[in-house]
Amino acid sequence: MGPGVDLGLPLQLLINGLVLGVLYALIAMGLALIFGVLEIVNFAHGELYMLGAVAAYFLTTSLSVGYWGTIALTTAGAVGLGALFYEGLLAFIAGRGFERSILLTLGVSMVLQNGALYVLTATPRMETTPYSYRSVILGDVSIPLLRVFALGLALLAFAALYVLLHHTRMGQAIRGVAQNRAAALMVGIDTHAVSRLAVAIGVGLSGLAGAALAPVYSVHPTMGVAFVFKAFAIVIIGGLGNLPGCAVAAILLGLLESVVGGFFSPTLVDSLGFLAMIMLLLFKPEGLFGRGVRL
Amino acid sequence: MLVSSMRATAMGLAMTMVVSPATGQDAIRVGSSIPLTGNLAFFGQHSRWGAELAIEEANAAGGALGRKIESDFQDNRCNPAEAVKSVSQMLSDNRYVAIHDGLCSSVILAIMPLIERAAIPLVVANGSATAIAEKSGVGGNKWTFKVNPSDASLAAALVGYLVAKMPEKSKSIAYLGESTDFGRSGSQGFEIALAKRGLKLASADYYQQGTADFTAVFTKIRAERPALLALYAVGADFQNVIRQYVSFGMNIPLTGRVLTDQIPPEILQSGVLDGTTSVQPYVPEVDTAQNKAFSAAFQKKFNSLPNLLSRESYETMRVLIDAIKRAGSAEPAAIRDALEKTSLESMLGATLEFDANNLAHDNAVIIQIRGSKIEVIGLNKT
Repeated sequence: MGPGVDLGLPLQLLINGLVLGVLYALIAMGLALIFGVLEIVNFAHGELYMLGAVAAYFLTTSLSVGYWGTIALTTAGAVGLGALFYEGLLAFIAGRGFERSILLTLGVSMVLQNGALYVLTATPRMETTPYSYRSVILGDVSIPLLRVFALGLALLAFAALYVLLHHTRMGQAIRGVAQNRAAALMVGIDTHAVSRLAVAIGVGLSGLAGAALAPVYSVHPTMGVAFVFKAFAIVIIGGLGNLPGCAVAAILLGLLESVVGGFFSPTLVDSLGFLAMIMLLLFKPEGLFGRGVRL
Repeated sequence: MLVSSMRATAMGLAMTMVVSPATGQDAIRVGSSIPLTGNLAFFGQHSRWGAELAIEEANAAGGALGRKIESDFQDNRCNPAEAVKSVSQMLSDNRYVAIHDGLCSSVILAIMPLIERAAIPLVVANGSATAIAEKSGVGGNKWTFKVNPSDASLAAALVGYLVAKMPEKSKSIAYLGESTDFGRSGSQGFEIALAKRGLKLASADYYQQGTADFTAVFTKIRAERPALLALYAVGADFQNVIRQYVSFGMNIPLTGRVLTDQIPPEILQSGVLDGTTSVQPYVPEVDTAQNKAFSAAFQKKFNSLPNLLSRESYETMRVLIDAIKRAGSAEPAAIRDALEKTSLESMLGATLEFDANNLAHDNAVIIQIRGSKIEVIGLNKT
């Protein structure tokens, strides 16, 4: 490289894109997991993410719980909420047609969003933590500390999910149900319990995302909308139900958005994921890494 | 006997049910289509509150033409298509004497042809796109009256101040705004005002409403090293922009339409925004007796400080009610004629009168953040 070449801009965009992509993956992963096991597209996923962020906001501001305590409590609460979500609603429609699941989760999404709007009003809220305005500086590159934490939490969650799915009996059962529910039932796997666990983990991941990102983005009832549609695009690009595919697609989208937003126009950014999704549906409808249940 | 008594009671109840709506029809009704849900619902809420306070005060003082004033609010989610639907419905109801605002510039531009065809006055409180006034009065649409300043007049007031006080920095202004008529009008206003002084914007970037992440565009702007960054963002987007601006260590002084009343307190108190110079149609810190009275009444009723949306809606509803009173009639055409002859003192100390483009020229507030405090440094006529 010549002495006049400034690597600061591309390097910063690359780092921004990687961080953004991992955050997208954190939100999309829960969606992919629920689809992989139950074949239900959870349209309420964005609102569950929003609930996580709202819970984190109130834990921090009203109960003065610290950042890490908020992350732990919100994630645990989201796991519990996920189990309830399955037992109270999803268990009744699992395997009873795609349309029912769309209508039900869409309905839950509307109720949660408008309920939050009624209770909290539309006023955007900001969760403030002791780390809110600190950055990690590496040469010409700076990364806000809370994004570094969110990145670390996401990577930790992915690692834990990997260990659970590939090195535990419960994980084997989840993968078994995802690959062939009828066969799993025949060999004695409790598919109901496995499905409940998958939804609990999926919603737990969205709660973790909400808690980790509440101090990064403004908290308001419609905050999930911006992310959930991108998450849908990511899940389709990665291959429906394919968790590794979903992670790779999320990081690719984050990088693409960062580069386009940095070198061209930010107005193009939102359409990129959907443009990629349309192209894939036309030329590789099974997604980048193959449609199917690969956990 | 019992039967006839029951019949009489039933007839009485039926009569009551018939009479009640007639009493409602006696009220002078104003229609309004604003975002009550979606990203800008917070602003819609404040716009509604401002209008409701003005109506409440007018009704407490006897209403207009001896009748009570009432307003109906419908949700448009800041979406022109939904606004066209809701305003069309209101116009077909044929019971509104005027339409109050739409909040978003794109919405107002979309409903202007409707109110012109229906021959009903539209009083604009919040939409700031320059095109609204350009298309009104001698611009063609005789039924639209814009009470708040346009983006062009606000930008002209700000650029005039910046060039006079910060001539070197004025030569390198980057622009970041939402990709709506509001954001686009802001950059247009800057470009026109700068061009008059032989200057131009260093760069202009726009983002979609609802964008959560601004790191890419901030990286781009930081690499360009401008002296000032003109910001045109509202609602939740503004909160995201301002927080990420600080956490990303932007260090480029802000200007434009920085919503100082929406800045999180910890950011304001940290001092990182010191040096921000902004223009607003209103800030709660304006030190006039009328503003203090308005602010106190607003806080008492809504338990919240007013913002520019609530103040603009309050002032605009005052203008409309004043016109209805002077018109001596609730006929839309008479109200339109009375609006043309408006001469009413605003809470910012200017006399509100409509020019040939049906645009009123209120004072603009130039503000600066100094020592973590918001200071009003000038009230300039737009």
